[in-house]
Amino acid sequence: MSSSCRSERAGARRSARKIELVVKHQPLGESDAFRRILRAFEIDHPDVTVVAEALPSSSDVAHQFFLTALEGQARDFDVFVVDIAWVAEFARAGWLLDLSPFVAPASVRRDFLAALGDAVIFEGKTFAVPWYVDTGVLYYRTDLVARPPSTYEELLQTAREAQRAHRQLSGFVWQGRQYEGLVCNVYEAIWGHGGQTMQGDRLLLQTEPARAALHYLQSLLATGISPPSVTSAAEEETRRAFQGGRAVFMRNWPYAFAETERQGSSLRGKVGLAPLPTLTGEPGHGVLGGYQLAVNAFVDRDKRDRAVALLRHLTSLEASVDLAVAYGRSPARRDAYDHPRLMSDAPLVAALRPAFERARPRPVTPYYMMLSDVLQGEFSAAITGVRAAEEALARAQSLVDHLMDAR
Amino acid sequence: MSALPSTGEGKERRAGRLMMAPAVLVLVAVALYPTLASIWLSFQRLILVFHERRFVGMGNYAFLVRDARFFSALGHTVYFTVVSVTAELVLGLVFALLLHARPPAKNLLRAAILVPWAMPTVVSAKMWALFFLGENGLPFFGISIFDVNWLGTPGYAMHAAIAVDVWKTTPFVALLLLAGLVGIPQSLYDAAALDGASSLRTFFAVTLPVLRRILAVTVLLRALDAFRVFDVVYVLTDGGPANTTETLSVYAYKTMMRGGDFGYGSTLATATFLCVLAMGGLYFLVIDSEEETR
Amino acid sequence: MRRRALQWLAVLAVLGFCVVPLLGQVVTSLLPAQALLGAATPSAWSLDNYRGALQGRPLVRSLVNSIVVAGATTFFCLVLGSMASFALAKLRMRGKRWLLGGALAISMFPPIATVSPLYLLIRELGLRDSLGALVLSYMTFALPLTLFVLTRFFREIPDAIYEAARVDGCTPFQTWWRIGLPLAMPGIASTAILVFISAYNEFLYAITFISSPDKRTVPVAISLFASDRIEPWGEIAAASVIAGIPLVLVTVLFQRRIVTALTQGAVKD
Repeated sequence: MSSSCRSERAGARRSARKIELVVKHQPLGESDAFRRILRAFEIDHPDVTVVAEALPSSSDVAHQFFLTALEGQARDFDVFVVDIAWVAEFARAGWLLDLSPFVAPASVRRDFLAALGDAVIFEGKTFAVPWYVDTGVLYYRTDLVARPPSTYEELLQTAREAQRAHRQLSGFVWQGRQYEGLVCNVYEAIWGHGGQTMQGDRLLLQTEPARAALHYLQSLLATGISPPSVTSAAEEETRRAFQGGRAVFMRNWPYAFAETERQGSSLRGKVGLAPLPTLTGEPGHGVLGGYQLAVNAFVDRDKRDRAVALLRHLTSLEASVDLAVAYGRSPARRDAYDHPRLMSDAPLVAALRPAFERARPRPVTPYYMMLSDVLQGEFSAAITGVRAAEEALARAQSLVDHLMDAR
Repeated sequence: MSALPSTGEGKERRAGRLMMAPAVLVLVAVALYPTLASIWLSFQRLILVFHERRFVGMGNYAFLVRDARFFSALGHTVYFTVVSVTAELVLGLVFALLLHARPPAKNLLRAAILVPWAMPTVVSAKMWALFFLGENGLPFFGISIFDVNWLGTPGYAMHAAIAVDVWKTTPFVALLLLAGLVGIPQSLYDAAALDGASSLRTFFAVTLPVLRRILAVTVLLRALDAFRVFDVVYVLTDGGPANTTETLSVYAYKTMMRGGDFGYGSTLATATFLCVLAMGGLYFLVIDSEEETR
Repeated sequence: MRRRALQWLAVLAVLGFCVVPLLGQVVTSLLPAQALLGAATPSAWSLDNYRGALQGRPLVRSLVNSIVVAGATTFFCLVLGSMASFALAKLRMRGKRWLLGGALAISMFPPIATVSPLYLLIRELGLRDSLGALVLSYMTFALPLTLFVLTRFFREIPDAIYEAARVDGCTPFQTWWRIGLPLAMPGIASTAILVFISAYNEFLYAITFISSPDKRTVPVAISLFASDRIEPWGEIAAASVIAGIPLVLVTVLFQRRIVTALTQGAVKD
């Protein structure tokens, strides 16, 4: 204790010379585990102070922020989170430091979950290191449902029965607002109906599974299994609806589980997780989400080594387990899932590993954010009934082809 | 003005130019240059993020006239402008009449009326979002207005955005109209009272005709602003659901900032500009022709 | 008697229309996070959100930034604009119509598009991420606004006064300084308030040109508000209330001036 005080005072004397590293991250939760992880790094590197700055929880807002900042070659942050959907874009733009000398592509493929390698390695170089992963899962009320459904039919049936028994209940809540989350929900439905995302380099949209998926989602709203509020709901709105006891099923990312299991939650102990249902009953594929850490390509030379060291510290085994236990963030590292502390303190996170192995990425292309904008509009039109699914898909296809071909 | 020797006039002209120079310089640098640069960008395919830059001539405009999303956005913008300006006029007139009639708590009323206009749009839109989200917002507020999913139902969302805009700008309209009301000579009202006209009749026979010019100017001023609306829609609905609240400015913004296509985004903005210019030309003619006849 | 009652009803309705949404925000800001998730009674009110909003986050800093930027914009607009408006209103020159019309036309260009070339211009000037960049770019809408309003006010000054000054041997510049400005003070004051408020509330340029948290202005700080909690409704509400206070103060203090000035300016039209 006293030695750390002494070293702190010594550090304070030298603070005029200290290097300051800024980490931009998304809100993780109310525990101070993250701060402790950063302090641990500061103790190991006494010449560095780390400042953590939170971004708004909306991924789109964060994307916009980075777009304008990095386009202007901003230097006021050093390590930052990159959503899996934008890594390709930022890498192509030259905003991410090439980390290959420090974290070789081979080691990324070896240490992290399978699908993540393709998301962060381009042209044989590592541009980001996976930090935590996300995938869509089905939440269900264990006190209302005996067995989680494995097919869409079962889901509809179970929901209807529960709704008949409890009048005020919604059957199934999911993210239907016009934003990136909707694209995730739709792709999960497409895969659940047996569809594929891409054919070679081309985005595949006008397919039978895609049509069936949009019909299915729209019918959820039309038949009242999903309440109308779903079309303006994002993750937090659905979580609140489910956590308030107003729904039987919810599709969301794993983070919500930490919230429902919190002390004082009315649903503590009554929530179960399951793979998403599909047409055939095979376990469904959730969208591969999550955040990676990258180093700002414009960071000063003399800070570079420290920034990379910080990145490696944050993606280390210990830090990954800490994040999992404190915030319910599923580790991206393979070895974290075998760690005894994870298995004892965050068993549900450990149990989710098969879901991540099954997770599929959205189309990996630098143009993804442009494409997503088109998809968001057309998917929203289909599920709200503004356009028939066929027409929405046709429009989306032609716009997407135009965007990707016109080079 | 009386005629003056030419040297005096010349000196005055020079002084005038000198006095206007700083303002003109700033406007040219900061306003004119970007406007022209943006029009120049509209003829290119420019994806800033990927350093893609290519001159495509009328290519963007060719795509524009076939772009269904552009015409939807245009339709939404026109609808927004018409409904919002009409509502603001009616409501503003009511407020102005109320203020004019020497109401109780006049100072408090005046201050309260100005507050919606003075608040940053970001703040007020977030506030209104809470109300419109109903059960999706905070359960504490519980009541969802008429039990409709305002921000998630095509058709309703647009009216939610209009409501926020009307709430925000009615004060300004009210004040402009109040200025006109104050200018109506009492003698006209006395004459109407002598004739035995009811207050309703007085309104239509005396108030409205005199207000006509101010009404016209207010309508055009507000229409020019409403046509370019961005903040309210962006914060409240982000253009959704199904792009049904997407106005021209929002579409241009998304194209540039989400998609990174500054070329086509500039094309959209230029198209908006041309529409606004047409409306603005009308305003300029009205104001300036009136001034000249003085 | 009945007329008075009706008037009171109308007044209350209007007050409600204007103020209730704001009250909603105030109420939200007084409720701690847990209370917001379920029904809550007034007994749960606390100032936690205000503490959370102010602590560690540069909210006060962004208030200062906003006031500085809005103030500087107002100052420059008044200096440049009053000179130009005076010249437009009183001095004989050619092309006045074109200038006023041109200024109007330029201010009508959607800010969305001017953002990008302005951004590049500001980057060239090395002004990126500086408050000066904002002041400069706000001229786009603030200066034309100043020109229109002030030109009208300067036109109200009777030509006779101007004639007398000229006969006395005053240069146009002196006339502007000694006679024009004092007489147009009400107009200048109301213009100052209009410019201040629109600069304070500006969002698009502020969010594009500034990236470091300590240079943000208030609208940006609120829209980028982030804390450890995923959706800090309460804290955002508290931040909004804090942010709105300067503006409410300005409008309440100067409402008479705004209204009177607008009224006077338009009467003689």
